[in-house]
Amino acid sequence: MKKMKDSRTSSIVLHNGLIAALALFWLIPIIWLVCTSFSAYTGMNTSTFFPKEWSAANYLKLFHPDSVAQFPQWFFNTFVIACFTCVISTMFVLMVAYATSMMRFKMRKPLMNMAVILNLFPGMLAMIAVYFTLKSFNLTNSYAGLIMVYSASSGLGYLIAKGFFDTVPRALCEAARIDGCNEARIFFRIVLPMSRPIVVYTVISSFLVPWMDFVYAKMILNAGISDRYTVAIGLYKMLDKSLINSYFTQFCAGGVLVSIPISILFMIMQKFYVEGITGGAVKG
Amino acid sequence: MAAQEKNSAAAAVKGFFKAIGSFFRDFGTAVVKGDAFVKLSLLWIGAGYAKRKQYVKAVLMTILEIAVIMFTVKFAMQYVPKIGSLGTVKMEKVFNMKTMKSEFNDYDNSFTILLFSLFSFVVWLAAAVVWFKSVINAYALQKMEEEGQHINTFKEDLRSLTEEKFHITLLTLPVLGVVIFTLIPILLLIFVAFTNYDQNHMPPTELFSWVGLSNFINLFGGGGLTTTFGYAFVRVLGWTLVWAFFATFTTYIGGILLSLLLNSKKTRWPKMWRTLFIVTIAVPQFVSLLLVRNFFSNGGIVNTICQNIGLTGFLRNIGLVSTSYIPFLSAPGWAHVMIILINIWIGVPYQMLIATGVLMNLPADQLESAKVDGATKFQIFRKITMPYLLFVTGPALITDFVKNINNFNVIYLLTQDVYTTTNQAMANSQAKEVDLLVTWLFRLTQDYYNYKMASAIGIIVFIICAVFTLVAFNRMIKGDKEGTYQ
Repeated sequence: MKKMKDSRTSSIVLHNGLIAALALFWLIPIIWLVCTSFSAYTGMNTSTFFPKEWSAANYLKLFHPDSVAQFPQWFFNTFVIACFTCVISTMFVLMVAYATSMMRFKMRKPLMNMAVILNLFPGMLAMIAVYFTLKSFNLTNSYAGLIMVYSASSGLGYLIAKGFFDTVPRALCEAARIDGCNEARIFFRIVLPMSRPIVVYTVISSFLVPWMDFVYAKMILNAGISDRYTVAIGLYKMLDKSLINSYFTQFCAGGVLVSIPISILFMIMQKFYVEGITGGAVKG
Repeated sequence: MAAQEKNSAAAAVKGFFKAIGSFFRDFGTAVVKGDAFVKLSLLWIGAGYAKRKQYVKAVLMTILEIAVIMFTVKFAMQYVPKIGSLGTVKMEKVFNMKTMKSEFNDYDNSFTILLFSLFSFVVWLAAAVVWFKSVINAYALQKMEEEGQHINTFKEDLRSLTEEKFHITLLTLPVLGVVIFTLIPILLLIFVAFTNYDQNHMPPTELFSWVGLSNFINLFGGGGLTTTFGYAFVRVLGWTLVWAFFATFTTYIGGILLSLLLNSKKTRWPKMWRTLFIVTIAVPQFVSLLLVRNFFSNGGIVNTICQNIGLTGFLRNIGLVSTSYIPFLSAPGWAHVMIILINIWIGVPYQMLIATGVLMNLPADQLESAKVDGATKFQIFRKITMPYLLFVTGPALITDFVKNINNFNVIYLLTQDVYTTTNQAMANSQAKEVDLLVTWLFRLTQDYYNYKMASAIGIIVFIICAVFTLVAFNRMIKGDKEGTYQ
């Protein structure tokens, strides 16, 4: 009897050991990122995994910008872009989701089918043509252009929110309609307050788009003026061949600083996403 | 089954054309059966509304009609007539006798001609729809009047936008956004692929013109000895497909295995482990990938470690490496394998999250009854868990495959500035062995201004994606369970 228990314990230990080993393996680069950001040396540490001398100087330097590294300015730029994108995208997504979920009209099915097709074509492909167009309207190297690119087509990502609205009990809306509520009031007063998880999810995910994006920012902010960059482009430029030896550890420090808020938001988003999906299922 | 699948896509397309057909039929009936004012609406859009005492609407429609006419005369006519040639007058400096200064002549800009003509076509199309629609409306109003029904005042019309027509209020802006930032660019891309818009034909100083299919002929290996695009295209396309295949399947299988491991009953603190894995994807890719790129660089930390433990020497002895370092991301072969491996690192946690979500929704009653019937754990896994998982996540494989064809970030961030090709033929077309079609396209646009070839490649990517997309689309329509919860 005791022997059997022993073999069970050892199998549990083995099982968890395997997971721990995998997790460690997965985290090696992240650990290296954090360690290197505290290195006293400015270039890449190529001889040892951990820095030889520790220092917090890189973080301090980030807040004393020079001509190359203007981290606070980049952070601010990205924040402004993210706020605008967030407001526009959230509105678009919730509007489309409500219209397709709660209302019935003639063009509903054709529009939804079009959206499925357009959704499956990656936005990447229209990229160069968007660039042409923005260029001819002088919108390259401007935040307005970037915000438009991030948020204009966001209505296509309505499916998750629609899935949630689908589970809001119809009886409630019918009752409101009988009481003389118009559709707009039902939307703002009944459906939105009941859909908190999905609203939070939409807000966070659209806020994260400019923080996570690299391609569009690289394409549109291509004039090479450092204080107009977003965080992504700024950090990327720090690793230029001519700059990498004096800025690598600062890049790591900047990477850590920008990753912390993003990771937290990402985790919250995951939670609300799961809540949105399962919560909806229970209600249905 | 295949026939059935075809039907669903065909049905969607059929439905679309049916809607258009019935729209024209309504228009036809309105014109034939309408009274004088409905017929007058063909010329003056406001006529029908004015007769039915909807004066505000009539005024608005008249203003709209005038606006479209003004747009046509003042704006569109500058560009649309030139679309056949894309402009003939080159930019030149001319000495102006009156002002005694040299000034630019009244030159043509091929790109603006193309873009604004396209824009005019879209505006005209929209105007035509409004025009047809108001004739139909005028006829509907006529019938309502004959039957003595109440005709909405303008105030009531406005209010209907927050009531039964609320969807119009909701959808106008998002649809407009999609049209301007997705549809028009795609059309523009298609047009540019048939021109010679490149570095030697850059507006405003130079003109470009239509060249027919010659860009595509270049891409498929024609066009004489001087061009190497055909050579590069085949290789880049091959690697794109190989990459998409491996990237999709390795992360898919890895993600399922990892989620099974984490969701096993033996696991202690599953939430903590899951969080640790998610950290890798929560860090933005431009940080994590740029870091990994330096982690594996030629003089980087991994190379130092390999040197110290003698791995580099061993590899040199067996002939896998000819340099004093391991060229993880800077030599063909090595770079290809490394990119797929690094992609496993960022792709598996993501797939794990999805698979975990699916596993949590596993039908519990089936598991219970299997246990009662005395099935072993392995049998349950093989007969219930696995089929369910594959059934639910299977269709997503196709969308993942398409996404990987266009996975710009991984390739660009890992290899840009690090990987230089030694293959002259590839270099001549600005391609590298590790390029995907999209990264190649991006470089052609951004660094070499070769818009014509970039657009042609873009169309090819489009077609490849469309084939896979249609398959996925059928699956999705089949799995459309909308309404089952309502």
